[in-house]
Amino acid sequence: MNESPSPKSKGFRETSKSAFQKTPLSAGDWIDPDTPNLTPEELESLSIDTGLPIASLRGAGSFYADNAWKNSSNSVVQVCDGTSCRLGGGSSIEAILHRYGHECQRVYCLGFCDRSPVSMIPNEQLREQSPTSIRNLAPEAIITRRILAGPVHEIKKAIEAGVYTGLVNALGFSPSHLIEEVEKSGERGRGGAGFPTGKKWRMAAESDSDQKYVIANGDEGDPGSFLDRVLMEQDPHTIIEGMTLCGYAIGASEGIIYIRSEYPQAVEVMHEAIADARREGYLGQDICGSGFNFDIRVFIGKGSYVCGEETALIASLEGLRGEVRLRPPYPVQVGLHGKPTVVNNVETLSNIPFIAKKGGEAYAFYGTHATSGTKAISLNHGFQNPGLVEVELGITFREVIEEIGGGGRDGEPLAAVLVGGPMGTILKPEDWDYPICFEVMDRHGIQLGHGGFVAIPESTDFHDLLIHLTEFMIRESCGKCVPCRLGSQAFLKAINENREIAELEEMLDAIEAGSLCAFGQFVPGPIRTLLADFQDRIFGPKNQNN
Amino acid sequence: MIQSLRINGEKHAFSDGETILDLAERAGIEIPTLCHAKDLLPEAGCRLCIVETSTQDRPVGACHTLCEGGIEIETDSDRIRKLRKQILNFYIETDEITGLVAGDTNGKFREILDEYEVPYTAQPLTTKEGVEDSHPYLRFHPDSCITCRLCLNTCEQVQGQFVYGIAKRGVETHLIYGSEDRFLTSPCVSCGACVDVCPTGALFDRDRAPDQAQTSDRETDSVCGYCGVGCRIRISSSDETVQQIDGISDAVVNHGHLCLKGRYAHAFHHSPERLTQPLLRRNGELEPVSWDEALDFIAERLQSLIAQHGPEMVGAFTSSRSTNESCYLLQKLFRAELGSNNVDCCARVCHSSTALALQLVTGTGAASASYEDIEKARGIVVAGANPTEAHPVVGARIKQAALHGVPLLVIDPRKIELTEYATLHLQLLPGTNVALFNGIAKVILETHAADSSYLEARTEGLDELDSFLRELELKEVESITGVSETDIRSAAAILSEIGPALFVHGLGLSELMQGTASVMTFCNIGMLTGSIGKPGAGMLPLRGQNNVQGSADMGSMPSHFTGYQPLADEDVRGRIESIWGKLPPTEPGLPSTLMLEAAARGEFRALWLMGEDVAQSDPNETEILKALGQLDLIIVQDLFLSETCQFADVVLPACSFLEQEGTFTNGERRVQHVRPAVEAPGDSRPDWQPVLEVANRLGANWHYDGPHQIMDEIARVAPGLFGGISYDRLEGDGLQWPCPAPSHPGTTTVHADGFIRGKGKLVTVDYEPSPEHGVEGFPYLLVTGRLLEHYNVGTMTRRTPNRTLVEQDLLEIHPSDLKHESLSDGDTVLASSRWGEIKVQVTASERVAPGTLFLSFHFPETHTNRLTGPTLDPLSKCPQYKATALKLSRIVEDSIPQTV
Repeated sequence: MNESPSPKSKGFRETSKSAFQKTPLSAGDWIDPDTPNLTPEELESLSIDTGLPIASLRGAGSFYADNAWKNSSNSVVQVCDGTSCRLGGGSSIEAILHRYGHECQRVYCLGFCDRSPVSMIPNEQLREQSPTSIRNLAPEAIITRRILAGPVHEIKKAIEAGVYTGLVNALGFSPSHLIEEVEKSGERGRGGAGFPTGKKWRMAAESDSDQKYVIANGDEGDPGSFLDRVLMEQDPHTIIEGMTLCGYAIGASEGIIYIRSEYPQAVEVMHEAIADARREGYLGQDICGSGFNFDIRVFIGKGSYVCGEETALIASLEGLRGEVRLRPPYPVQVGLHGKPTVVNNVETLSNIPFIAKKGGEAYAFYGTHATSGTKAISLNHGFQNPGLVEVELGITFREVIEEIGGGGRDGEPLAAVLVGGPMGTILKPEDWDYPICFEVMDRHGIQLGHGGFVAIPESTDFHDLLIHLTEFMIRESCGKCVPCRLGSQAFLKAINENREIAELEEMLDAIEAGSLCAFGQFVPGPIRTLLADFQDRIFGPKNQNN
Repeated sequence: MIQSLRINGEKHAFSDGETILDLAERAGIEIPTLCHAKDLLPEAGCRLCIVETSTQDRPVGACHTLCEGGIEIETDSDRIRKLRKQILNFYIETDEITGLVAGDTNGKFREILDEYEVPYTAQPLTTKEGVEDSHPYLRFHPDSCITCRLCLNTCEQVQGQFVYGIAKRGVETHLIYGSEDRFLTSPCVSCGACVDVCPTGALFDRDRAPDQAQTSDRETDSVCGYCGVGCRIRISSSDETVQQIDGISDAVVNHGHLCLKGRYAHAFHHSPERLTQPLLRRNGELEPVSWDEALDFIAERLQSLIAQHGPEMVGAFTSSRSTNESCYLLQKLFRAELGSNNVDCCARVCHSSTALALQLVTGTGAASASYEDIEKARGIVVAGANPTEAHPVVGARIKQAALHGVPLLVIDPRKIELTEYATLHLQLLPGTNVALFNGIAKVILETHAADSSYLEARTEGLDELDSFLRELELKEVESITGVSETDIRSAAAILSEIGPALFVHGLGLSELMQGTASVMTFCNIGMLTGSIGKPGAGMLPLRGQNNVQGSADMGSMPSHFTGYQPLADEDVRGRIESIWGKLPPTEPGLPSTLMLEAAARGEFRALWLMGEDVAQSDPNETEILKALGQLDLIIVQDLFLSETCQFADVVLPACSFLEQEGTFTNGERRVQHVRPAVEAPGDSRPDWQPVLEVANRLGANWHYDGPHQIMDEIARVAPGLFGGISYDRLEGDGLQWPCPAPSHPGTTTVHADGFIRGKGKLVTVDYEPSPEHGVEGFPYLLVTGRLLEHYNVGTMTRRTPNRTLVEQDLLEIHPSDLKHESLSDGDTVLASSRWGEIKVQVTASERVAPGTLFLSFHFPETHTNRLTGPTLDPLSKCPQYKATALKLSRIVEDSIPQTV
């Protein structure tokens, strides 16, 4: 058959380069390139419908881990392979499930680190058998205040708990005043990087555009952290309120909450809460009679850790591979579909209503000079008192670990604590007296991440922990840059070949120094600490002679 | 403020926005990269370009980090070299690359591995195993791929084609393309740009060429001989064969980019069908003869026919594929030695309407703008042209502009590729441009969006146009053109918003009964928006053939001397007589179309056809064949035995652009130097030589040491346009005329300081339906044109592997018409116009609107021009190829596809 003269190309609205982005997709037009099994004809028509090139669709389709179970005919069970579950014996669950004929997919992580190990049938609700323990030990509960006595996902309860009063209050003053208050609060992003929220908002507000976006980053990927899951499941209206306030401040009318697929209950609750808020006039046209319009949609992630990074998250929303993009330009200038976009973590946004209601200074009253406010910390099951705990920033790690966490479970001594997930930091007991604040953490290279604490007991299999962290780096690398894409695999090979520590460290140097984004830059950190401080426990005493 | 920083201890000034890598390259400091190429956005994936800075602990990527004043940069410290070596080791450690091919053309990756002393094994690629080779030119060897994405980025950012993608993640990340990793079924347009940037040779090409075994021993810089874009090329060759053709990376016209014709379609050069010696018709058969015999015959026959019938009975068509020097000499032969102004060229049947219209309204019959205006434009209008297929390198540049958000308005009866990137597409009925342009002009004036100060200062005719347009009803325009009033208003609003815009047009405007009127009314919009004579704006007609601009410039037009100088002007005549020694009459000769009409009536005797295959390319084939049959003498100079040769009395073997020296002038008036790279087969001679030989046999005493001396004479004959042009000034990118003096730099934007004509002319002209519109019983309008893979009558491209990409002409028909005719995709139908009928296979295509059909004319067996008719533009005498009344009928007796 003669191929010509059929058209040779498609009019692509978007490409993998944000500079080329033209028409944004319209509402509800999410691209789900669930494509590994599509025929060329199906790809062709999907390409026409979505305005994305065929090869780009194929590429995105093969990128996301969820496509493994979406395209499997077997009954697939997601087995949590987060650090907490790994330490808690998750591998044994996999063996049992295999015996019963289930196909297992390892995921990072299901967000139930307070009761590891866990597994889940994809998309099915993982109902809490017992509620996550939530405590407040800060002078004033800001983030946990509404849920200390139980979930407030129903709008009636939420309103009773005071949700939306910050919004009503802020709609009475100007967007620039709201930004000033957020600036005064000194709040820094809770996703890990700690960028000042007010500054981010101001930059977005000052970007001139017909369209702007607010994105709530609910892609809480750090194994060991489960705060965002709990907030989305139990206090969704506060997130909606925070997003709406952001939209008002920067001049956006569209919000998107990006929720990872591993949190199906959060997805369900969020959908409901958005519908309720819309019905009650807190979303939609002319919110609370202010003339301000804002609405929110839910986007479900597809299984990629790197998508928690804001530029990768945006690429994912655009139907592309979840790869990071070079900055500048920053998303606040060129974001989703090329428009100014604020991406804020769920916890970050949940603090906003307090600031909108009580003012920035009230928030800045707590915490340290450069790290204001409170922080909810996730303690995994390796602690005597697992669960969420809100503390005032400036508290020491030791207070959290020993006093609040109660030390190791059943009194087992802790060799170390992994804070901030696989991109975080392994803290040995001698480091525990540092206060939790950016002033000190920056100086000592401590990454707090989402504030997940995973206890590493003395009895830990350190070789397995090393393999676990290395596998995480291999499996979640987006594939864009070489040191991360190939270096992680080369490193695993070197470990398995028992190569000399010096050589392993050189490999980590290259990954750390060479990688493009924070993933490759920080994942080697905990691995390096393991190699340096737990060498004999990893390789046994024989390596001491090397 | 000049800012500076130190690299490896040396101070360097940098400019705003410059990356460390840019600066290092400029300063001659080498930083290794595997994912970076000139003019591409940084990919930042290979991480080899990391450098140390005095301000950050971590090394930074030089390709994406901007220079910062006062900092110190180390590009080659021990730490950096160690990191780079480790990163390179990762490729080897993980078997990312298992098939490092010894002897690949680029070898950049191997060079870097060697420099950093990373051990690897390389083996020659001996088998085709694992190599994707579905395509005649492109190959992919996955085992050699390091997933650097240079191919992907080049495909997207240069060609705009989006063939490639990246699959999986982590260590499994790999390159994919199209829907099934096959080039043949992918959207690939075979431009080959990806091959040029591949650092490992995983992407390669050409191994199917028969000359693969030989090696080239020379490189020749020249100019592509296909379309009027005029890409500069570097030809690698041995004496007899071309090995490969590459784009010249710093060429202003193409920045190193080429299309599949320019890059790959050169195998015709050594086709066994090439003519290698002169042929003379004896007893009805063409027989090989010596050059002397052939030239004597031509001289004698011309002389005797003129003696018998007069010089007005003989004529010549110069070749727009040949050099300026050949065209100049052939028209000089006819004018000076034979006393006939019957000289014309194929511009008559393509852009004669454009040339005339531009001459009338601006004062010169050529583009006012240049290709570099595409990147400068604030908005682009493309009308009646399909640049991504017919002028691919310019098409890719327009597409890139649109992808970067420049508003693009496409006006075309077909949904050409660019419509997919357009802000608005006006899909008008073929041949109704004048009505549509008038409608748009009306709205611009009505909404007070016209550039009134420009109009006041630079133009005339506004009042008349304004009062005419006031009476025009948009509803009527809508019913004539099929374009809704809303869309007309939107188009005008887009143009008003842009201000000065770049107006690109093609044969869809000129090859019509109202061709000249179409271009003039298009120019009206150009003037109303204040566009002509401004940078990044103005008129940029896309010329069809490589040297169609040049052949007309040289005087291959019956009404003008070289350089568009009037035949009757006394000063001009005086100057030319002093150079030529003789002069033709002051009355214009006949345009080519009228010479053939006269021949058909038996009122014309002889034609010298340099390269033009009129039997296949001219409209109304039945009449053309009749005309050719009536002539007493037909001289053909060609590469192959063309369709016209069956009527020839003598056939002279010509040289292609790969085999002769001269100059071509591209569509932006750029005169560029063409140099021979291979020897012509057999006894073929450069096209100008037989002309000179015949002239001297007729008593002239011409002597030229080579084409450069012919150019020197051209400069003296037409000093206003070419006075400053000589071969020693044509290194590199050549010169854009007007270039009146040896010190003149050439002209990028014509009419910059006011129109050459004095005032630009706004023209008031109403739409008139052509005789092909509304013909009862012929419900369709046929548009003819070109496809990407072939060039015009296919003389050259059909004799290359391009033939495996497209092997026949197909009639494009809208699916609803297909259904209406009770036809199926792929059926062979009888297509009939009032002038002839052909059997042709149909293909369902949504590129055409219901009621419109499209057919290419690349294959002689299709006889596309049996369908096209005798309608000419009364002003330019250009035929109407772009709208022919057609009907379709099923073939009842059998369904065997037509073969010839």
